[in-house]
Amino acid sequence: MKSTQYSEKVLDHFRNPRNVGTLEGANVAWGEVGNPVCGDLMKMFIKVEDEKIADIKFQTFGCGSAIATSSMITEMAKGKTLDEALKVNRQDVADALEGLPPIKMHCSNLAADALHEAIKNYRNQKKGKVPLPVVRGTKASAKEIVGEKKFLKGVYYTVDDPSLFKDKRVMVVDRGNKSLETALELTKHTGRVILVTPSKTVSADAELATKLRQSDVKIIYESEPLEIRGGDEVEKVLVHDLNEDEEYELFVDAVIILK
Amino acid sequence: MPYFQERFGNPSSLHGEGDEATKILEDCRQTIAGFINAEAEEIIFTSGATEANNLALIGYATRNRDKGDHILISEVEHISIHNIAKYLEKNGFKVSRVPVDQYGKINMQKLASRLTPQTIVISIGYASNEIGTIQPIAEVGALAKEKGIAFHSDAVAAEGLVPLDVKRDRIDLLTLSSNDIYGPQGLGVLYVRKGMKLNPLIIGGGQERGLRSGTENMAGIVGMSKAVEIMRQEMTEEIKRLASYRDKLIKDILARIPKSHLNGHPTDRLANNAHIRFEAIEGESLILALRDEGVSAATGSACSSKTLEPSHTLISTGLLHEEAHGSLEFTFGRFNTEADVDRVIEVLPPIVERLRKLSPLYKAEESAR
Repeated sequence: MKSTQYSEKVLDHFRNPRNVGTLEGANVAWGEVGNPVCGDLMKMFIKVEDEKIADIKFQTFGCGSAIATSSMITEMAKGKTLDEALKVNRQDVADALEGLPPIKMHCSNLAADALHEAIKNYRNQKKGKVPLPVVRGTKASAKEIVGEKKFLKGVYYTVDDPSLFKDKRVMVVDRGNKSLETALELTKHTGRVILVTPSKTVSADAELATKLRQSDVKIIYESEPLEIRGGDEVEKVLVHDLNEDEEYELFVDAVIILK
Repeated sequence: MPYFQERFGNPSSLHGEGDEATKILEDCRQTIAGFINAEAEEIIFTSGATEANNLALIGYATRNRDKGDHILISEVEHISIHNIAKYLEKNGFKVSRVPVDQYGKINMQKLASRLTPQTIVISIGYASNEIGTIQPIAEVGALAKEKGIAFHSDAVAAEGLVPLDVKRDRIDLLTLSSNDIYGPQGLGVLYVRKGMKLNPLIIGGGQERGLRSGTENMAGIVGMSKAVEIMRQEMTEEIKRLASYRDKLIKDILARIPKSHLNGHPTDRLANNAHIRFEAIEGESLILALRDEGVSAATGSACSSKTLEPSHTLISTGLLHEEAHGSLEFTFGRFNTEADVDRVIEVLPPIVERLRKLSPLYKAEESAR
């Protein structure tokens, strides 16, 4: 069975997803789950009245079945009590959709997890235990990156002439405001500027933050470079995703670590 | 045509039908050789391009083990080359992989710096079957020749889209497939320059100069030869036509859809290939939505692959997994018309918009510029 051979029910929910959007206000909570393997991301919002799910909305980045499972579970959960909703599992969602391709059962069937997460967050809010956002290493650390000293070409501690980076894939390591400005400046010379920051947001003043968001700078949040790899020249960087606790290689031509 | 409705002689037989079969076989060999400026006896028929790649690399490496144990490929090779290289690594050979730039092009300096006295063969695909980037093949050929290293190129993605010339490009081993130029499936070719020594992978009665035993797939060979004849007549015009579709599609999509980017090289790319990524959406869902509109496309997204891994080619160009995820590959062929291009341009923007509305990664304000 091909991964995209979906049942009519899956295709229906993909084509006409139910309850898309976000919720705000009192008695609202949301849960988010991601799949570290493929980058799927699902957000489930619930509004609770009398211990029942009065309203539910979702947002999903992912394949056809990721969208269909999200849509399906909103229909299944609406009107249920929180305890009933907690019993809805991945298999129930797949069954309601008349089955999923086997390869998709685990990777894109995250909707039940997102719903459970939302319910858990709602209950914690009620108990007054508002979970603080998990912040790991918000301050850009100046720790040495493995291998940074060994390259003849490709690691820069200052940027005197940004035109040197014309058409290069440049990684700027977040070391505070100056590095954010450098990243912005570099977009005038190359289409590929990646900013790696250990924080969830960039710690810049409002104006700079807005400029960055609107720019072509690709920001990788909650991540840090572990090791620079290559021969004489930089070829790739091993990046640690702090949120998913995952490591992956990113191909770049230059790394800028402002001192 | 012979071997489809009539004539079933075996070229190895000594009777009249056998002689006739031999004549047909050799005529086809001559036709296909002419397509790449080779000699007829340099054409070896195989069961497909995959077998031709296996014969080229495993056949050459094992036969020339006494000269060295190092093989050079690039990061953006077709999966068959990557897997053959892994097989050779398991069997005692060393493999280096040349990185590419953001457009998927190999860097000659980095290639040269990876050569060692032990390097016996370089294998660089003529063009990427995914993102369409054409490699500096003549430069690699010249360097390999200078260093006395064998040069193999898998030209399947480029055949029919780039005029191939093994002499001009100094290629020693070249892979072709039949079905990529509209010939029948189940036939491939390995061009083996005169004087190259290879071990056969299939041993038997010694057909194909002993490099590929087994009765020839005559129906496939006749079909591929015919496909080559048609391709040679049409190619020049066809390249122009397809390139105009490609350029129109790329230009219009990038202009109409915010936060969309071209993957692959802006100019050195196959005439039939447009490869575009869209921020904050995933390729498989794009393909599903396009299918509802009668449009077929491919994606480098992990979600549609058997292994759930994103395209190694896109990752090698420096994309993050989530970016490779949102990539869409359009290829044009003989049976496409300009109306098909217009159709894609018409249906794609609303699909992207609809899927982005579902996506938690897409912030409308960020695209308002």
